[in-house]
Amino acid sequence: MTGSSLTVEGVSKRFGGLLAVNKVSLRAEAGKILSVIGPNGAGKTTFFNLLTGIYEPDEGQVLFGNRNITGKKSDSIASLGIGRTFQNIRLFSGMTVLENVLVGHHNRIRTNYASAIFRWGGFGKEERRAEARAHELLRYLQLDERADDLAANLSYGDQRRLEIARALALEPTLLLLDEPAAGMNPQETEDLKHTILALKADLGLTIVLIEHDMAMVMTLSDRITVLEYGSVIADGLPEEVKANPRVIEAYLGKGGANA
Amino acid sequence: MNRFVGAVPATARLAVTVLLLAAMGGFLALGWGAAAVLAAYATLFVLAAFPPDPRWKLAALAVLTLEATLGLASKIGGDLLFIALVGVLVLLLRLPKVAVWLKVLLGAAVLLLGIPIAGFANTFLFELGIQIGIYSAMALGLNVVVGMAGLLDMGYAAFFAIGAYTWAIFGSSQVQHFLTTWVPLNGNFVYLFMGLAILATAATGILIGLPALRLRGDYLAIVTLGLGEVVRILANNLDHPLNLTNGPQGITGITKPPIEGFQALLAALGIPRSASTDYQLFFYLLVLVIIGFIVLVNVNLARSKFGRAWVAIREDEIAAKAMGIPMVKTKLLAFATGAAFSGAMGVLFAAQRGFVSPETFTLTASITILGMVVLGGMGSVPGVILGAAALTILNLDLLKGFSEVLNTMRQDGTVLLGFPMSQLPSQVDPAKYERLVFGIILILMMIFRPEGLIPERRGSREEEA
Repeated sequence: MTGSSLTVEGVSKRFGGLLAVNKVSLRAEAGKILSVIGPNGAGKTTFFNLLTGIYEPDEGQVLFGNRNITGKKSDSIASLGIGRTFQNIRLFSGMTVLENVLVGHHNRIRTNYASAIFRWGGFGKEERRAEARAHELLRYLQLDERADDLAANLSYGDQRRLEIARALALEPTLLLLDEPAAGMNPQETEDLKHTILALKADLGLTIVLIEHDMAMVMTLSDRITVLEYGSVIADGLPEEVKANPRVIEAYLGKGGANA
Repeated sequence: MNRFVGAVPATARLAVTVLLLAAMGGFLALGWGAAAVLAAYATLFVLAAFPPDPRWKLAALAVLTLEATLGLASKIGGDLLFIALVGVLVLLLRLPKVAVWLKVLLGAAVLLLGIPIAGFANTFLFELGIQIGIYSAMALGLNVVVGMAGLLDMGYAAFFAIGAYTWAIFGSSQVQHFLTTWVPLNGNFVYLFMGLAILATAATGILIGLPALRLRGDYLAIVTLGLGEVVRILANNLDHPLNLTNGPQGITGITKPPIEGFQALLAALGIPRSASTDYQLFFYLLVLVIIGFIVLVNVNLARSKFGRAWVAIREDEIAAKAMGIPMVKTKLLAFATGAAFSGAMGVLFAAQRGFVSPETFTLTASITILGMVVLGGMGSVPGVILGAAALTILNLDLLKGFSEVLNTMRQDGTVLLGFPMSQLPSQVDPAKYERLVFGIILILMMIFRPEGLIPERRGSREEEA
């Protein structure tokens, strides 16, 4: 698996009188980690929702590799290989941990309706293959012991990791992580950092990260794009962004010194 | 109940059991039937008051099955014993730590011996068993739509109607009203028509689903409710200009499947026969086979990518889409699957009753089937069957039975607690309170067991005591 690049050109989204995302352009290079940061309400999650087809952009276009995915439906975007996690955890809480990951495999399981009803034609083989793959992903994210528990019964940090496992089950080439460290304790955050770096190193995934934990953003990112009021105010290497006076003023403020 | 078990010493429990059984022995003087009935009630009491450990429970259930069957066969046992037999089946499904083959053996004994023997003594029980089967099958179909995929369908009886009318029209002389040269099909075509009805209702499901499934939750409920009524009103009014459905009078004289082979088999096995029980036994066994098949389909789908996709949509639609699950296609599949179950049962219903009319397919019917799913436990196969059994018994048996008791009291001029029953207003008729009782049951359930009688079980969630 190698990562695909993501190119966003002049994308805007308006909700009534509010310009939530204003002509945002950015590029995530294949196999690199791009962080999107900005104060609360800067339009970061809306921007993710534009990329994944939950909202349709009013203008501009989104290129995944060389393919134009602007205005495509969520499920076809996901099938093309864009996995995402959600800021407010959206697991299938009534299903088990394993089932959550298997749902991510949905389009990779080649079973037709008739063979599912009668369990014939390689149904069992496909199912076992998917389960083996799901267990592998769960092991990768240290969740395998919890495979048969309900997703709702996991701790907050485990739920966040399960979201990542589920997104990886899509076998994506681009992974969008929306505040994966939110609500995690320092140790969990540290583990998560290693996991994300491993995803980049082992799988060559392109990762776009929204995160408020500045220490994490600075260590992980190859590039950083800063949003404020829906517009890009800075874009560059972590050191450049860190030194940018507009960013310090708009976002980092007093916290900029610790970052 | 288990909470109280600890408070009763084991010796006391044993003593009570022995005493009760000894007392039963005394009733033998009244004859085998009466003794069996009393013993069955005693066993029920022991099971409820002092739940034994699983292995003894299995033994108790086996004893209860035997007693209930004998009691019903002697025509002394009441409907409660029939309910006890259904209860045995449900408890069997929930019995842990017992070998599967033992459970299957006892289950088969109840289904293939207990209920048929009771049915020979009282043919109404056959009818009840068949109706429970038909409604269970439909409830299992609706379970796919509502229970698994979380799509609230209030017009489910429409598919039942389409299935029933498919066979009713072509399996009776009704067809000659618009195809004058056509001969009513012979009974062997019932099976072919079950297949055709599956295709027809699945296609209708997709046709209705395409516009309706753009909506969610309450909106979907209202639209399906409307579409369900459209089908009923069509059935009611398509007697002119071309007489397709014979309007409100309904269609009579629908051909039943031929059972000569089955009768020959019965004769060879030396099973007592009569014109009415032959057909009832046949339909009862046919329904059992179909239920078995439908349960298999339900369980297999639930444990496949399709079932998981349905549950994922129910849990969180946006997340499901982000996992690459195509919304419209997956929802339509659920809708068509549910519709197909209902359509097949419609054909069976028409063939068994020999009569269909639009009255059977009202909004009330749709709501009743939905009630079975909700009462039993959305998404849970044993729950849904239990829900169907409970509501069918309530509708067809308990309330009507209660009405009859009251009527007898009125006519006999019984005085109950100082109140002369003959003065009881004629409006007091439990059979007409079906909706009321149903409503009360649902309210009580929402308070005490909101997840249904037997909730859907996933993962290693702790079972409730």
